[in-house]
Amino acid sequence: MPAILEIKHVSKHFGGLAANSDVSFDVGLGEIVGLIGPNGAGKTTLFNCITGYYPPTKGDVLFKGSRINGLQPDAVCRLGMVRTWQKVRPLAKMSVIDNVMVGALARTHSLQVARRVAHEKLEVVRLDHKAAFLAGGLPIGERKKLEVARALATRPEMLLLDEVMGGLNQAESEEIILLILELKKLGLTQVVIEHDMKAIMRLSDRLVVLNSGEKLAEGPPREVATNKDVITAYLGEAVDA
Amino acid sequence: MRALLPTLRAPRGFSAPAFLAYLAVIALVALVPQLSRKPLILHMWIMVFLAIAQGSAWNVVGGYAGQYSVGHAAYFGMGAYITMLLLELHQVAPWYGIAVAVAGSVLLSVIIGSITFRLRGPYFVLASIAMAEIIRLAALHFKDLTRGAEGILLSSIPPLETRWFTVRFLGKVPFFYATLGLAVIVISVNWLVQHTKLGYTFQAIREDQDAAHSLGINPTLHKNLALMISAAFTASAGGLFALYVRFVDPNIAFGIDVSVQMVLICIIGGIGTILGPVVGSVVLVLLSETLRNPKWLVQAGLLGDESPTVAFIEGRLSNAHVLFYGVLVVLVVLFAPDGFLGLLRTAVARVKRRLAARRSPPGQPAGAA
Repeated sequence: MPAILEIKHVSKHFGGLAANSDVSFDVGLGEIVGLIGPNGAGKTTLFNCITGYYPPTKGDVLFKGSRINGLQPDAVCRLGMVRTWQKVRPLAKMSVIDNVMVGALARTHSLQVARRVAHEKLEVVRLDHKAAFLAGGLPIGERKKLEVARALATRPEMLLLDEVMGGLNQAESEEIILLILELKKLGLTQVVIEHDMKAIMRLSDRLVVLNSGEKLAEGPPREVATNKDVITAYLGEAVDA
Repeated sequence: MRALLPTLRAPRGFSAPAFLAYLAVIALVALVPQLSRKPLILHMWIMVFLAIAQGSAWNVVGGYAGQYSVGHAAYFGMGAYITMLLLELHQVAPWYGIAVAVAGSVLLSVIIGSITFRLRGPYFVLASIAMAEIIRLAALHFKDLTRGAEGILLSSIPPLETRWFTVRFLGKVPFFYATLGLAVIVISVNWLVQHTKLGYTFQAIREDQDAAHSLGINPTLHKNLALMISAAFTASAGGLFALYVRFVDPNIAFGIDVSVQMVLICIIGGIGTILGPVVGSVVLVLLSETLRNPKWLVQAGLLGDESPTVAFIEGRLSNAHVLFYGVLVVLVVLFAPDGFLGLLRTAVARVKRRLAARRSPPGQPAGAA
């Protein structure tokens, strides 16, 4: 599988704090990679480094073979990589359809085209019936869907989902899982940050585990889940009797 | 529950009836000087038009792009000063002068924007105030260029001669049409902003700059673009204002009350809407001009010549207009956060819902949502 995203020895330091140190892994075309790790492991920081919000202190990020660290987020988006936000960021005083149109306008100057694309993407996430509503008034489950629809409207080749199931009930989570799998079938490469282990095991082709900013393990979900270091990072050392 | 209701915003796009209504209103207003040329009445109209031009110009960057500049006096004053200096010292006709003034202000806006747009929220507001103050103090200090606190008094405006007609800038009528024209242009620019990709881009930045950035929008570029558009029309208003009052000094042109008034017009009318600045201008100008010079009420035939009301306002209230501004703003912020226009829309929506509820048979849910 050819790599669409290559993360090479990426480090990000905030003063004395190493939020990421020497993280390397590849994401193959069409693959779903789960990014897991305890709170504060540096998952979101890594997303920010990949999408241009922070320049990495060291290391390189390659997207479709070319170096993208140092690019601004809008340039990264136009290259075909878009992220969603852990803390959802609806454009509150705009309607749901207008929110998604903002995403679609990354690829067109025509409002008509953007509106059509936006309706399509709202149908994909099953939110088209709320098109005329103000985004600020949506409940959390629908806000998460709106995030995804808006990101999809930019016509990405790669989607970075930051805890898109956080705060959702089981039925809502299930809907999102099916959505992610559906998008995979359409050929979209995805990196998913998620705390729900059951969900992430089901979704991911591969897991990458971060702990205190470093990559702890990488591999197929079953292998990683039985990895001793990973269990230690999540549950602590075994106590000898 | 209010947020859960569908947006009350009018459908986007071109609507022929609305456009015809717009043209009809302009045509009716343009007839005013043909019917009556009472100077105080025309003065009121001119002040309203200038306020609309300023408020709508501010609305592009403040209302749509959400960057609450309280330093627009910089562009207003720049427009006024460049126009006046070119005319009085270099005999450059004002229509060319205003063009130069617009170019100068846009250049200034790029400089100010590239400094202040690094900041967000209240820090941006403070920086914008500081920029305008720097320019005001510079205008006071560099007397060789600006004549300092003495100001510039205009001796005469040359007539505008074209192949077809000649306009002499005597009396108020030419200024009535010039300021009306500017107001119409700036309102149209607001319409264009709202109905194109640019408007979506600006509003996305207003709602959440980081989210907009991740969706392919370059916030720095577009905030500067919004400011440049805004500065261009603010400068035009400044140039026309100076020609109209025939005098400019650093406080009139660059004073902070110029900046504040532009913001208040939008807050009172309804920020980020096309009609908001129009409504806000009418309310604010009527209020402030009435308090400063109530004699227009007599010319309008609303009050008698010897009316005690005029004497009362002139004697007791003429210096209190700032106080009234303050009270009005507090009331609007408390009770009509979306401005007079928002109040009106909420009322219309409520009436519609009541009517719908009355029409639907008892026991059935009302067709409100």
